[in-house]
Amino acid sequence: MDDNGGYVIAGFALTGGVLAAYVAWLGVRLRRARRSGAGTEQPRG
Amino acid sequence: MTSTYSPDGSAHSGGARPGAARVPRWSVLGAATVLALGVQAVLALWVAPADANQGDAQRLMYIHVPAAWLAYLAFTVTAVASVLWLWPRTRSVKWDLVAGASAEVGVVFTALTLALGSLWGRPVWGTWWEWDARLTTTAVLLFLYLGYLALRRTGDSPDERGRRCAIAALIAFADVPVVHFSVTWWETLHQEATVFNPKLETNITGTMAWTLLWSVVAFTILYVYLVRSRTQLAEMQEGLEERELANAIAERIETGESAVTV
Amino acid sequence: MRLLREAVLVAGKDLRIEARSRVVFAQVLPFGGIVLVLFAFALDPDRGLLPRVAPGLFWIAVLLASLLAVSRAFAIEADNGARDGLRLSGIDPAAIFLGKTAAVVVELLALEVVLGAGVVILYDVRVTGGPALLLASLAATTGLAATGSVYGVLAAGLRARETLVPLLVLPFVAPVMLGGTRAFEAALGGVTSEAWPWVELLGVFALMATTIGVLVFGPLLEES
Repeated sequence: MDDNGGYVIAGFALTGGVLAAYVAWLGVRLRRARRSGAGTEQPRG
Repeated sequence: MTSTYSPDGSAHSGGARPGAARVPRWSVLGAATVLALGVQAVLALWVAPADANQGDAQRLMYIHVPAAWLAYLAFTVTAVASVLWLWPRTRSVKWDLVAGASAEVGVVFTALTLALGSLWGRPVWGTWWEWDARLTTTAVLLFLYLGYLALRRTGDSPDERGRRCAIAALIAFADVPVVHFSVTWWETLHQEATVFNPKLETNITGTMAWTLLWSVVAFTILYVYLVRSRTQLAEMQEGLEERELANAIAERIETGESAVTV
Repeated sequence: MRLLREAVLVAGKDLRIEARSRVVFAQVLPFGGIVLVLFAFALDPDRGLLPRVAPGLFWIAVLLASLLAVSRAFAIEADNGARDGLRLSGIDPAAIFLGKTAAVVVELLALEVVLGAGVVILYDVRVTGGPALLLASLAATTGLAATGSVYGVLAAGLRARETLVPLLVLPFVAPVMLGGTRAFEAALGGVTSEAWPWVELLGVFALMATTIGVLVFGPLLEES
């Protein structure tokens, strides 16, 4: 890497970070939805 | 995982299927995404040679260009899904949710495109931001779809939300070429010679071209994975809301609290 | 023809309400005025910056005022079940859209005359290229009003509409801001020939926004 290597690393790190955060957020929400869904699966009444 | 939900949203049908059925299909797409992106990073950072003019800074192209492609792909999918919702024969809640999921992924990647463009522009152009036609259009695009996402969050019945959002998505989509045209015009008619000359593109061949192609493919797989997960989440939330409402009504009737006497 | 007659009817209704309530006159117009004054505070008048950036400041002031005017135009339909009345009146939704847009256009044009005079006096601008200025204003105002009406009905009945409509409208009308400012700059700079392409762009935008409104107003009015 030359003098501008820092910008490249920052760019790849930013992309990786954003993607990881988004996927993690999706995963947490999905698990939560599954969990709360399991208890109330059949509507009563 | 002891979930009773399958990934294709069949939770709505109320059928309890073993969670085991869910794992393989999702793992395949998820693993493919991780693998494709891993190979992409290796190709972009080590295998591809540094550019003759720009040096290593040009490596940012391998994520900037695919991110921009993804953003435009995502907004096109939103527009198509909105048309499919509006078309009576294909109308289904699913299309509305796909449109929303795709727009959200699109907004994430539009923001990422702008940030990466900035990081690339700084060493190559000497500025973080340049009022160049494509940059400016992309910035306006970001705000157009942030508005669309805000509209989605206003909490309507699914049908009402579907109509409002489908129309809003198409209106926003129609505006993009007009914005781009006016900004391009602005640039050619009025902008004085700027501090920099080299455009971001370089003529690329060989390993660099293959790396870029691979990056675009990898990001497209990632897009499919993200939109599927996001749509699935939206479907589950929608199903949960419906069930909670049904439960609340049932409870009310049981305890005789209902204002309406049957 | 029936469409136009009905549109005039709706526009007349909105303008009559404005004539009696004077909300745009007594609230939106002073708002535009104070915006012009505050711009002068922000851009120190002594440095000769104001006359150069006057076109942009003028259009920002008009843009902000137009958001309020549109919000007002749809607020009057929200009370007392007025929207149901409008829906049940049997008037073509396209005519309702055209009428409401026309009323906003009239209000904004009046506002632009006053703000324009304010810009000339306060910012020391010499007026040249009259026809280009007039046509640019007309086209830009039609575009703004039509866009506002589309998003106004799109957000009608939603809880957060006051904050939502500006977010939806502002990015959409970016070409109007650009076209209006450049057309004014060229006309005031004495090179009217450079203004005409921008006037054409504003015309195309106005046409597009009006067409969208005619197409989508019906389905949206049903929903809201």
